[in-house]
Amino acid sequence: MTESPAKTINIILAALGGEGGGVFTNWLIEVAESNGWLCQSTSLAGVAQRTGATIYYLELFPNDQRQSRPPVMSLFPAQGDIDIAISSEIAEAGRMLQRGFITPDNTTLVTSTHRVYGITEKSDIGDGTMDASTVLELAAKYSQRLVSFDMSELAKKHNSVISSALFGALAGSNALPFSVQSFKDVIVSTGKAVKTNLAAFDDSYQSAQRAVNGSPVETYQPNQSALTSGSVDTEAPFSLPLATSNAGSELLDRVRDNFPIETHELIYYGLQRLIEYQDFDYANHYLDKLDEILKIDQGQQSFDLTNATARYLALWMCFEDIPRVAQLKIRASRIGEIRQEVQADAEQIIHITEFFRPRPEEICAMLPKSLGRALLSSRLGRRFLELFAGGKKLRTDTLAVYFALRVLASFRAIRRRSLGYDEELRMITSWLDTIKLAAARDPQLSLELALCGRLVKGYGTTRQRTTEQVVSIAEYCRSFANASAKEINNLRLSAIKDDANQAFNQTLIQYRNQC
Amino acid sequence: MAERSFTTEVLKLRAGDGESFKGEGILAITKGLLQSGVAYVGGYQGSPISHLMDVLNDAQDILGELGVHFEASGSEATAAAMLSASINYPLRGAVTWKSTVGTNVASDALSNIASSGVIGGALIIVGEDYGEGSSIMQERTYAFAMKAQMWLIDPRPNLTSIVDMIESAFQLSEASNTPVFYMMRVRGCHVTGEFTAKDNRPPEFSSKNHVVPNREAEKIILPPHVYQQEQDKISKRWPAAIDFIVDNKLNEFFPGKHKHLGIITCGGTYNTLIRALQRQGLSDNFGNADIPIYVMNVAYPVVPEEVVDFCVGKSHVLLLEEGQPEYIEPAIHTLLRKRDIQTKIHGKDLFTQTGEYTAQITLLGITRFLEIPGLAAVSKRFSVEEVNNFNSPLSDDEHQKLLAVVPPRPSGLCTGCPERPLFSAIKQVQKDLGPFHISSDIGCHSFATLAPFNLGNTIMGYGLSLASSSSIRSALPHKAISIMGDGGFWHNGLSSGVVSAVFNKHDGVLIIVNNGYSAATGGQDIPSMVEPNNIIATTIDAPHSERDDSVSIELACRGAGVEWVRTISTYSIELMKQTLNEALQSSKPGLKVIIAEGECMLNRQRRIKPLMKKSIADGARTLRARFYIDSQTCTGDHACIRLSGCPSLTIKPSSDSLREDPVSYVDNSCVGCGVCGDNVHSAVLCPSFSKIDLIHNPNWLDKLSSSLRKNVIKLFQRYDESRRPGQLL
Repeated sequence: MTESPAKTINIILAALGGEGGGVFTNWLIEVAESNGWLCQSTSLAGVAQRTGATIYYLELFPNDQRQSRPPVMSLFPAQGDIDIAISSEIAEAGRMLQRGFITPDNTTLVTSTHRVYGITEKSDIGDGTMDASTVLELAAKYSQRLVSFDMSELAKKHNSVISSALFGALAGSNALPFSVQSFKDVIVSTGKAVKTNLAAFDDSYQSAQRAVNGSPVETYQPNQSALTSGSVDTEAPFSLPLATSNAGSELLDRVRDNFPIETHELIYYGLQRLIEYQDFDYANHYLDKLDEILKIDQGQQSFDLTNATARYLALWMCFEDIPRVAQLKIRASRIGEIRQEVQADAEQIIHITEFFRPRPEEICAMLPKSLGRALLSSRLGRRFLELFAGGKKLRTDTLAVYFALRVLASFRAIRRRSLGYDEELRMITSWLDTIKLAAARDPQLSLELALCGRLVKGYGTTRQRTTEQVVSIAEYCRSFANASAKEINNLRLSAIKDDANQAFNQTLIQYRNQC
Repeated sequence: MAERSFTTEVLKLRAGDGESFKGEGILAITKGLLQSGVAYVGGYQGSPISHLMDVLNDAQDILGELGVHFEASGSEATAAAMLSASINYPLRGAVTWKSTVGTNVASDALSNIASSGVIGGALIIVGEDYGEGSSIMQERTYAFAMKAQMWLIDPRPNLTSIVDMIESAFQLSEASNTPVFYMMRVRGCHVTGEFTAKDNRPPEFSSKNHVVPNREAEKIILPPHVYQQEQDKISKRWPAAIDFIVDNKLNEFFPGKHKHLGIITCGGTYNTLIRALQRQGLSDNFGNADIPIYVMNVAYPVVPEEVVDFCVGKSHVLLLEEGQPEYIEPAIHTLLRKRDIQTKIHGKDLFTQTGEYTAQITLLGITRFLEIPGLAAVSKRFSVEEVNNFNSPLSDDEHQKLLAVVPPRPSGLCTGCPERPLFSAIKQVQKDLGPFHISSDIGCHSFATLAPFNLGNTIMGYGLSLASSSSIRSALPHKAISIMGDGGFWHNGLSSGVVSAVFNKHDGVLIIVNNGYSAATGGQDIPSMVEPNNIIATTIDAPHSERDDSVSIELACRGAGVEWVRTISTYSIELMKQTLNEALQSSKPGLKVIIAEGECMLNRQRRIKPLMKKSIADGARTLRARFYIDSQTCTGDHACIRLSGCPSLTIKPSSDSLREDPVSYVDNSCVGCGVCGDNVHSAVLCPSFSKIDLIHNPNWLDKLSSSLRKNVIKLFQRYDESRRPGQLL
């Protein structure tokens, strides 16, 4: 579209706070002006706060078509009259679609496919993230041309910012009649972070060119959707790897001989976790329990029941007691993970301060059953425990704290005699027994019960609440012979509605009264 | 120092005759003022004219050179009262604020200046916003202009028109002895473009050239003069204004071939109108339209003869009048009916009654106009139905699908905001003593009324929270609670709130959120703001106040008679909870004031980032803190997020092969304020949070202890490693 247009080129940009939408707009104005085009821009910024999207709107008009009067340009983006829509995040592209700014006749959509989660998604008790694949589908359907890839990741790769990646993608989309060099010149002329910004620009430009020329850039991988995924992807075949020890081989042989291939992957991950958490004996116990589930599994949907139980049983059996937390805090790989995430320079010294607040209950849970119970039930014992409970800030990079945590981690040796283990085992057994019981009534019911394992999470009062929810669901199912799979499903969903148990209790009471 | 700096842009204000000036609308207005020989400027910040105050603030050197007097006024009333300088002297002056709220605050002074009249041009530059993102009620300044007989300019939103109309507005004000509103819309304030500059003109009188004090008793608003002034408004000033507008062609007529039709628009909606006509094939790019257009750059007063001349001989005329209710439309009807002219006038019947005249609404209104039965046909591209289809190409089903996957992004507190821990503390106290009725105020703290805090019942105006508690307090089961910002305190809260509460023996609790700036409007300075070296220093690093205020909120409260005052760092959640409990349960009579102190994190970061960079570059040992969540111990319950809502506290997909729910995660925008850690302790959360201190330029002790620790720990880890094969699958 290099011939002179009879109308303005209209561009809308949505950027989240702090993503450099203003910088991008200024770059674009400079490109337009250096190419002899008039540019008018305006913006609707949110307040100073950083949670909303700012919308920028630009119109371009070629100077050489200017008459004695300058062109009259609009300050409003108009539905059906947008030539280029740019979005720094995929859900914001969805918002533009909703508002009618993307139309098949004329809109080139340039969008990054990454997600910046909104507060409703972040604060969900389970997985509240929204599936962006719908947006991409509709974006492809309703834009004249779509340039979409993960520009956030690309920018990170080049240690740059998303505005340079967006700028490169816009240049590469061929939607503007300007040479790529004129885009680069603007980046160079700013004199700021030129090298990294140019690298991101170039990479993004190439990706966009590939997209425009028809070769796919990358396939978008949406997150697995919440609470419906008890099964694993059966299309990617999984084969059990070789074990590194004799005890390991025995375990894997047992898996190979007794369990259908569809269940191998999850069981393998479960075993790995259990061995690291406790020992081979514990892992064998896990398989014992799973054996019983497999017996009642009629193999529907690639052994969903066994798979779901394998997943949640492994997680529950590896409950996070103090020895477990200590073990994880002193793991060798941790320091590297931290350094990478906080972007520490090589060799930079970092201090790590942990925030702990154990309650007397957690301290007793790691002690032998009888001692733990005795301490918890006596007033003197409780007062003694208070000495160790309460808010703590501990520097795990210091030797004293490291050794203290080693000692705490070593308590795993007596874990299976501990008060905490006793209590968890009781709840696990109740859950598993109910699954087995339900299988005789309705396979779907037992699957729903198995999926309730996903509810178990958190520490302290959160853990108490979530485990009690599972126990209550199991109890309900045992007490009422006509409890249905649908009801269990509803109970599970109500359990993650709020963290005060309000919705859950309401639903439970309602069902109990019905029966 | 404001959030946005214009220090480089303001250099453009020196542009001289014939130079091309490129920039934002707000900058053009400032240039227009300087070219017009303005003698004084003032105002109070607020969207969309916050940046005008920022520009003026950053332009003080240039203003000083010219001898222009500038003040960041204490409130809009303060700013309006500045205009009194134009009553007795030929001083041109301009003040600015957010309308309608600012106009309400200023109304006492405005009515008086309108009555006294001016001999120096007096402009009130107001920003209005009827858009869906607007933060205020959609009342029109137009109503105030009508009732006080002040004129209202609504220029076409291109920089040349904006600048020209500033000069014209001053002249109009002087020709008719009347103060003039100059109205900008939000998009016009931020529009970029260019115009040809003129030399700046120093004012005739200033600190460099004093006036001779001049007393004109007839200009004082006391009887009998005030009666005469009100007569003059109608008998002298109004006709003078009409004559000036007509003679100087402030309103514009554009011809068109369809002479039987016409469109009347205010200047501010002209560009949207032209675009709609273009899309219908009824105008070219340059505004040469097929339908005659009358542009009212002066929205009030309506010039009878111009309107009548335009309408005569036309069958139908369309009026674009944005805002509710319509005032121009009935005025035109009256004019025509009185003269028995039968032209049909359409306006609000074809547009939206409330809200902004967006591109789509304007296109729809014009199309509806062209499809009015009986109107001689005009060929156009799109029918009403086709225009309606522009709303969205998506099917209803697809809309539903999108609704489910596009998350709302409500306003919230910034990363590391000092107000977050305050509201966490109030929420925790409410659990024990609540539920609470809370009178809220204007400012960032208004966002506490939204999720995740949901604290606050009413907002009555800037600095009015304590005043609004004064009636409900006797009917509440708990001591009345009012929350006010430092900006609101100085704007109005001290006199309307604190002084009145002490006088009336108000027994409630007032929490003053002191973050050191007028934060919500963009971080402008306020009276209790202190010099950079003594800046408010209550964050995780410095829990105690080390400030030496030029004007202290605490002293002001004590001076007003408050005996119970506590100043607490917001980041000390436990101490804040104790203090709130004490204040709410104290048997001591009288107002209890808690000054909740913590520097605005946006401003703090802007202030300390360069210092930190310099410190690192200078080789000094420097610590930078941020938080980290161990994704191995996080189980994905997100209780931490529900307590905080910090933008840097987010989620990421779990990397664990068994866990499905996303885990919490702190992104690199974390500023290490420490609230996450405090919440772990005060709300008993999980053990996944760590504070990471990154050390730049470590000293020998750092290096020695670090290498010792590293090596010993490595030794033990290697030992563990050697035992691992037997423990692996």
